[in-house]
Amino acid sequence: MTTTFKVIVNGQHQLAVDPSQGTLLEAIEAAGIESHYHCRNGFCGACRTQLIEGQVNYINEPLAFIRPGDCLPCCCVPASNLKIEHR
Amino acid sequence: MSYSTFNQTASNPLLEPMFFGNSVNVARYDQQKHVIFEKLIEKQLSFFWRPEEIDVSRDRVDFNSLTDSEKHIFISNLKYQTLLDSVQGRSPNIALLPIVSIPELETWIETWSFSETIHSRSYTHILRNLFTDPSEVFEDIVINTEIQKRATDISRYYDDLIFYTQLWQTHGEGTVEVLGEQHTVSLRDLKKKLFLCINSVNALEAVRFYVSFACTFAFAERDLMEGNSKIIRLIARDENLHLSSTQQIINLWQYGKDDPEMREIAEELREDAYQIFMSAVEQEKQWAHYLFKHGSMIGLNEEILCQYVEYIANMRMQAIGFDAPFKQRSNPLPWMNKYLVSDNVQVAPQEAEISSYLVGQIDNEVSAADLGGFEL
Repeated sequence: MTTTFKVIVNGQHQLAVDPSQGTLLEAIEAAGIESHYHCRNGFCGACRTQLIEGQVNYINEPLAFIRPGDCLPCCCVPASNLKIEHR
Repeated sequence: MSYSTFNQTASNPLLEPMFFGNSVNVARYDQQKHVIFEKLIEKQLSFFWRPEEIDVSRDRVDFNSLTDSEKHIFISNLKYQTLLDSVQGRSPNIALLPIVSIPELETWIETWSFSETIHSRSYTHILRNLFTDPSEVFEDIVINTEIQKRATDISRYYDDLIFYTQLWQTHGEGTVEVLGEQHTVSLRDLKKKLFLCINSVNALEAVRFYVSFACTFAFAERDLMEGNSKIIRLIARDENLHLSSTQQIINLWQYGKDDPEMREIAEELREDAYQIFMSAVEQEKQWAHYLFKHGSMIGLNEEILCQYVEYIANMRMQAIGFDAPFKQRSNPLPWMNKYLVSDNVQVAPQEAEISSYLVGQIDNEVSAADLGGFEL
């Protein structure tokens, strides 16, 4: 059984994201939204994204500091419906 | 307060602050106050590489076909990077080891600095291949005024912290006269110097390398100087990890997860930290100007490079709690990213050594989900 979560990016794009199909960053890219990243491995923090609403699960443990209210989409998947600002 | 290489006071490292507590005695890693530094050590060790693994012999042919302005760009960047890594290969050790108080951070600092010495060795590897005698390039690093300006700014926070730590460790708090000059030493002031120093190093790791990286990868985009670009990719991957550590330290202080006095200092010196970052950004832009003074190169000019510095700076400043100061919100050099992805390091084994192979990478965590695909 797969669950799909609704992810609203930058208040204008609505994505249906299946957490078993890859990271949040990959979902953002697949939707054609400009993405920001460097290492794609959770240690550089370049993909830092504001997590306005919802929860994420980390599939790889991030080494970059995650400030409250942020998430690192390169190594996480949605755990609920999300609202994020990825700019 | 005087430094001891094996502090015989029985202290609990789980209760020590990162800096200015009891100096570390037993190098033990079975328990950590800040587990992140242990993880950074593991990651850095798994990234281990040597410059000799990368074949740079084709670069000499490419280099000779570059225009004079392109040669200026290429060599100047190598000089600047040599300066940065000369500083970083020693300064974290000299400035931070005498005052560090937890074993995992002490070892992280040593691991970090060691990896910077590998970077320095790779610049020699690159230059020795390009020139029969690279002495002229190395000698110019000390006398080139553009590089000097940067050296002054990079080393002054370190030097200040080192000097006052020495006074504190030999004379304690109070006023002391050295060579006819009066110096007032207090632990609070030392902590302030440490805060500024870490912010300056953070800015260095965050933005100072990126103008040079962009030039290197712009050559690689034209299939030029590819050996050099492979080395710089490995360096960029390491630098990203080092940056992560300075961001961790600053955030741990800001969020009061370490020394409570450092939290106060972080608030008190917020404006100074901001200015340190902004002046590093300004200097990088001036560097871009210096690089392109004899002419641009295909795919890159001063303006677009300055936009890239602003783009990166926004990202880095938000990571330590500042608002993004620049308007540049989209990436003006999207091709840069493919060189910065850590897993992408090399995919054509027939061309050269495979550098994406992680030496000593350990992953022994198995969850039930890993066996999900099995059926009996």
